[in-house]
Amino acid sequence: MVEDCNIKQMQNNCYRQSKVPDEFMLQLRVPGALIDAKWLDVIQHICQTWGNGSFHLGTRQTLNAPGIKAQNIPSVNDYIEPYLKAVECDLCNVQMETRNGYPYIAPRNIMACIGSVHCINANINTQNISHKLEKEIYPNPYHIKISVSGCPNDCAKAHFQDLGIVGCTRPIYDMDRCIGCGACVRKCEKAATRVLSLNDKHKVSKDACCCVGCGECVTACPTGAWKRPNRIFYRIILGGRTGKQCPRMGKLFANWLTEDSLLGMMRNWPKFSDWVLGGKPVYIHGGHLIDRAGYQRFKEFMLDGVTLNPEAIIAESVNWAETEYRSNIHVKPLSKHQTVK
Amino acid sequence: MENTSTYHLQADELDALFAHLEEQYLVYAPVRIPSGGRYAQTDSVLYRPVHRYEDIEYRERSTYPMKEVLTPITQTLFYFTEDQYQESKPPAKDLLIFGRACDINAIRIQDQIYLLNGGVEDPFYKRVRDRAKFVLMECAQQFEGCFCCSVGANVTDMHAMAFSFGERDAQIEVSDEAFRDYFSQAKPSDYSIRFPEENELKVNYPVIDRMDMANRLKDHPMWREFDDRCIACGSCTVACSTCTCFESTDIVYTQNAHIGERRRTCSSCMVGGFDQMAGGQCFRNKTSEKYRYKILHKVYGHDARFHTGPMCVGCGRCSARCPELISYPATLNKLSRAIEEIQPEEVAHHA
Ligand code: SF4
Ligand code: SF4
Ligand code: SF4
Ligand code: SF4
Ligand code: SF4
Repeated sequence: MVEDCNIKQMQNNCYRQSKVPDEFMLQLRVPGALIDAKWLDVIQHICQTWGNGSFHLGTRQTLNAPGIKAQNIPSVNDYIEPYLKAVECDLCNVQMETRNGYPYIAPRNIMACIGSVHCINANINTQNISHKLEKEIYPNPYHIKISVSGCPNDCAKAHFQDLGIVGCTRPIYDMDRCIGCGACVRKCEKAATRVLSLNDKHKVSKDACCCVGCGECVTACPTGAWKRPNRIFYRIILGGRTGKQCPRMGKLFANWLTEDSLLGMMRNWPKFSDWVLGGKPVYIHGGHLIDRAGYQRFKEFMLDGVTLNPEAIIAESVNWAETEYRSNIHVKPLSKHQTVK
Repeated sequence: MENTSTYHLQADELDALFAHLEEQYLVYAPVRIPSGGRYAQTDSVLYRPVHRYEDIEYRERSTYPMKEVLTPITQTLFYFTEDQYQESKPPAKDLLIFGRACDINAIRIQDQIYLLNGGVEDPFYKRVRDRAKFVLMECAQQFEGCFCCSVGANVTDMHAMAFSFGERDAQIEVSDEAFRDYFSQAKPSDYSIRFPEENELKVNYPVIDRMDMANRLKDHPMWREFDDRCIACGSCTVACSTCTCFESTDIVYTQNAHIGERRRTCSSCMVGGFDQMAGGQCFRNKTSEKYRYKILHKVYGHDARFHTGPMCVGCGRCSARCPELISYPATLNKLSRAIEEIQPEEVAHHA
């Protein structure tokens, strides 16, 4: 006999329904995707004790235990409490009840590339900012997908999130340290946006407007003539998504934000979602909320009360290019329009 | 050392000392530059003017060498108009430069090139060098890749004072009479400054004593790997305490082609275009040839001219800066083995 299961409730607690009746897959959040390796014992124990013995590496960098029987979920929730406390409460400063497992699934795990703890290309510590973002979006009932890349290489696919965060730098040039070797010029041309050139003074000129903020020039420079400033900047790529209907790559929404500006805006996300959904938290992807509100309303909400740093620039409008799996999918009877009035 | 006295100064006395020294000297020392490193959230340590004791970063080897104080990366030598020129300004004061034993020994090699090479003194070097004195920084601990002891650069007497650094105090040994007066009120101490005696890294520094050996080594297969490994970026030579190469460029001002300045800019055999002649001809096209030239110049070329041994003080900066993780000591050891290989062959050949 199939056990009576409230699968919506279970999904909300981060147990995903399996095609095998009565089985669920736990997804442990790993905001920033880097944790103490000791926690591997915990997920292994769950998989081997309550799961079916296999382990799945979640596509959003969660640690997944498939094949958990519904009746065992309370035991698993007891068992993961120390993990929730350590990762959510201690690491990310999230205020939440940890006794009954995860309270919400809607804000999806914040993905991140390894960033500056390891990667030679990175501009930022992707874990630090992921932890701070987790505190802003979790726990709450509104869906959002965020991913953080340490540099514009975007290994963490910020271009395919509702909000993709990219760590950038604005290199400073010390002309007196420059030997005119052209290494930065060649690197920018090969790896970035070709904004550097050697001038007739045997020094470097820069077309600053199109610098993508990758810092490749800094890494390439043998003398330290290019240097990262002692502050970091963020870019937000907006409205990327995958899916059956109209997947699309995100577009540049905001550039050269400081951490304060970024977090200030993110604090407005739940308010924006709440407004679009009229206070009724239903499980709708964040990107669709932006569609329903329209970019201009979204922008107003996100910027509300935020004092942007002087370098920050914001898109006046955004034109996404969608892949429509049914042409003219957006053309429908007025009664079916979901635009918030 | 004879005729030295040592004093123990606390933080406030040290600041007073620096203020006093600054009346006559521009004081240069390694300074930490936050986020100045090649990779994010890494710092660099550069030579900068310092005003207080705490400005000095003594816990880490400087990323770039002391030579930058005497021969800055970019230096204007003189300004010219149609038929006149004006020399750039010499330093406003005498120079007092903090450095370790290897750094100070490296100045002897800089001196050879700028003052003793072919009987011509470089006036732009001489005008700063004559006014420079050195303060030895005691190496309380060694850094990754130091091998000063393998090249005899671990001791020096070319310093006016020596500092043993503490968090909030310092032991200062004074050997130059000219500095004695600064310490008339200071508390004497029986501390004695130590030089590094042994490095963890030991390098079998190769010796090439004849040109035919150097020529045979040029064809050795050991260089081939560097075509793939070395990117000819010049990080090693810019960071090298003993490399001296530069290029001279006349910069003509945009608004008037008859007015401009002559600049001297650091350059090196590892940087593309360095050996390019009029007409575009280059001698060392392959990266392995550039790298081979650098190594053989340090081991053989310099010594063949000056007979003073390695053109290297074992400071370890070249390897520390190489983005491709090419170890200069590892190359030296390979070279020593190559020499050993060739030697018996030669004996057999001549027998
Ligand atoms: S996005 Fe940049 S920082 Fe992150 S892993 Fe890729 S290259 Fe490294
Ligand atoms: S940060 Fe990147 S895009 Fe900007 S100048 Fe440097 S290499 Fe080019
Ligand atoms: S890489 Fe550095 S030294 Fe070379 S041209 Fe660029 S800024 Fe100048
Ligand atoms: S070759 Fe390397 S170890 Fe020798 S002086 Fe130059 S930087 Fe220092
Ligand atoms: S040895 Fe290393 S630092 Fe020197 S030029 Fe080659 S890659 Fe650059």
